[in-house]
Amino acid sequence: MKKGFWILVSVVLLFCLFSLAIAGDRAVDPAKSWDNHYNLYFILVAGIWLLVTVLLVYFSLRYRRKKGQGDGAYIPGNTLLEIIWTVVPLIIVTLLGVQTWAVYKEYRHVPKDAYEVNVEGFMWGWNVTYPEGIKTINELRVPAGRPVKVNLTSKDVLHAFFIPEYRVQEEAIPERTTFFWFKPSRAGEYRAYCTEFCGNGHSLMLAKVVAMEKDGFDAWVAQQKGAVAKLLPVDRGKKLVEDLGCLGCHTLTGEKSAGPSLKGVYGRETMLADGRKVVADDEYIEHALETPNRDVVKGYTPTMPPYKLPIEDEHAIVEYLKTLK
Amino acid sequence: MNQETVKGSGLKGWIFTTDHKRIAVLYLITSLVVFTLGLLLALVMKAEQWSPGKDIIDAKLYNVFFTIHGAGMILWWMIPVYTGFFANLLVPLMIGARDVAFPRLNALSFWFFAGATVMAVLALVTPGRLDIGWTGYPPYSIKSDANTSLYVFAVHLLGASALASAVNFLTTIITMRAPGMTWGRLNLAVWGILGAFIIQLFGIPVLAGAVTLLLFDKYLGTNFYNAAMGGSSMLYQHLFWFYAHPAVYVIALPAFGIVSEIISTFSRKKIYGYTSMVIAIMAITFLGFDVWIHHLFTKGVEDWARIVQSLLTILIGVPTGIKVFNWLATMHKGSIEFKAPMLYAVGFITLFVIGGATGIANGLLAIDLHVHDTLWVVAHFHNVLSMAMTLVAFAGIYFWYPKFTGRMYSEGLAKVAFWIILVGSLLAFVPFYKLGLLGMPRRYWSYPAEFTDTYRLTVIGGYILVLGFLLTLVNIIRSAFAGEKAAANPWGAKSLEWTLPSPVPVYNFEKIPVITAGPYEYGRPEEKAVPEGAQAV
Repeated sequence: MKKGFWILVSVVLLFCLFSLAIAGDRAVDPAKSWDNHYNLYFILVAGIWLLVTVLLVYFSLRYRRKKGQGDGAYIPGNTLLEIIWTVVPLIIVTLLGVQTWAVYKEYRHVPKDAYEVNVEGFMWGWNVTYPEGIKTINELRVPAGRPVKVNLTSKDVLHAFFIPEYRVQEEAIPERTTFFWFKPSRAGEYRAYCTEFCGNGHSLMLAKVVAMEKDGFDAWVAQQKGAVAKLLPVDRGKKLVEDLGCLGCHTLTGEKSAGPSLKGVYGRETMLADGRKVVADDEYIEHALETPNRDVVKGYTPTMPPYKLPIEDEHAIVEYLKTLK
Repeated sequence: MNQETVKGSGLKGWIFTTDHKRIAVLYLITSLVVFTLGLLLALVMKAEQWSPGKDIIDAKLYNVFFTIHGAGMILWWMIPVYTGFFANLLVPLMIGARDVAFPRLNALSFWFFAGATVMAVLALVTPGRLDIGWTGYPPYSIKSDANTSLYVFAVHLLGASALASAVNFLTTIITMRAPGMTWGRLNLAVWGILGAFIIQLFGIPVLAGAVTLLLFDKYLGTNFYNAAMGGSSMLYQHLFWFYAHPAVYVIALPAFGIVSEIISTFSRKKIYGYTSMVIAIMAITFLGFDVWIHHLFTKGVEDWARIVQSLLTILIGVPTGIKVFNWLATMHKGSIEFKAPMLYAVGFITLFVIGGATGIANGLLAIDLHVHDTLWVVAHFHNVLSMAMTLVAFAGIYFWYPKFTGRMYSEGLAKVAFWIILVGSLLAFVPFYKLGLLGMPRRYWSYPAEFTDTYRLTVIGGYILVLGFLLTLVNIIRSAFAGEKAAANPWGAKSLEWTLPSPVPVYNFEKIPVITAGPYEYGRPEEKAVPEGAQAV
């Protein structure tokens, strides 16, 4: 009878704790849920630390050895007490664990109306590509009030994109796409960092996150789109080659780098690693962008990442390469 | 066993020794040398952090320094001081054996370790200096011009050393206990060391494999970690942390054991809840292998794996909590004497609870999405390692100082150093929690200007902390020559090692003792006590 009563009390207590863990601000904004989660965590652990430290100091003073005092009391243990300080922490970590699970689900559940941008890390900076075809470097502009999904990848080594304001980060991994999302609730300018060690420029690999009011953002998009569309294909190709970071591995001077030089590449007869001979024409170059590791030039390693560009962009790049005599 | 080499004095006697006590001292000396090197590197890095941008060293050298600092402090100071020094010194003495099971293998373990130490120093001073972090993640460690082979071979030697030790000590603890030394009478320090070596035995082969593949990728052109060719750069991180996370418990479990010895001895009270202490140690040993993904919470790992290992990570808080509460209960109604080891142990508890609590934050998946790889994490593991576990190492060195030197340390200097270390470490690392919450990442050579003041606080704290450490080193070295001669049992402790003279003779026990009671029987009422008053008659 007495046992049953205590089990009932425990179940009710546990239920209350779990509801507390999962309840709270259900507004879909992981950053806000993060703050609630952290607050509960902080109160609980600060309480435990205080309890331990106060007891520690109290026992240290209260039971200090007096002159001529012998051994302390002989108490090998107490099963009930030991069960209590096993079960209570167990309840606390379960409570926090359930809450973290619930908050994490929010982090991974991207709202359907999210604005989607692609971010690529490189040594040492960030390429941002917008759905409208705009590209920026080390700057991520987003419309305030609308969820933003970031598809993340890396060109060379591991990086990680971290926006403290939105309490979120994720690894940028070569050959893979990871994602995270956040909700910029109001306009403002925030900092993004690289949090995965990536060499000498790691601590300078910062980006600006600019959340703009909807009107301002739309105006910016229109302006950028116009600027790109107005360019001649040759100039657009030049901008693409620069923005995509091609020049990291391909020189314009004829010198060898990680990849062959782009100088005079168009129309050049080229020996491939597997012994085939090809002429670098439109078709070859477009293939080389899409599946670069299929036709590797002799003397080079297959390290170039594939680029999936709109067909106009590929044409523009070819037009630009034609001019590099 | 060749008696001459065992007893020989002079340099030869030390180089060819197979005596576990001498090997312990060799480990301690090597560890302290690398510890000092790590401190010097930290001082330079701290000076560099005085303002954003370059103060005294450039980014490249800064990266080299934090690589060697991290590897040195974990692989040469924290792990070997426990599994090398304390394990060697304590296990045979506490279980009533004359040496370990395989004394020559034990010597080989040390010399592998010494060889690895030479490689670590080479990695710092030869061209192609290591700038890959102590974690050595590919693809960067493959692309960097760093001489990654030194890193790999050093880990191989360390691994060979640790595996030989693991086999040796597990065999010793299982088979060489004196008659009557039942599992229930084993010192908690020995239980902790047992747990640590179980982890070493199962974890190290995985790490050795991981770094070997790194070597192949970099120098033989294989593609285990090259995603473009069907490999995976994340594979390395999984393999690395499969050992490197449990490695934390390789440090913590013996430390927990040592704290239990010290608290029981200076409270003159039986350790509270011995059985639950042992269960907690073993629970952590096995749970420790199921939590490595919390190092990869922000790294594109499957959601279910992140959630499961998040829950398992924070579950470790439970056995850890049991230990803390049992220590408190041991002090309750004790007769506490605040000699330096006790002061350090009590300081350890309060600092360790901060480190443990912030570890819960790292384990909580959602919270980690913000604090991962920020200075919060740097603060957390320095809180645990540099503050808590280092304090325990010092406490243990002082506590058993009579046993391996025959002399006493300076009590006054030890207490002064404690308060300096306490103030210095709080000042050096608590501001890092704040900076981490504000978003400041780790391994940054430069930082945004608005963090300058907070950074400067940690620079000052760092220098105070190192002063405390240097005073401790002075105490440890000076007392070995100038300390007072120690009595056999200066603390009135009841554990087996204190029945031996200080310093302990080569063969430890003239006659293998027969054990009739546990090591913590303080204040045990006489079972057949004469009723009071009866004697007066």
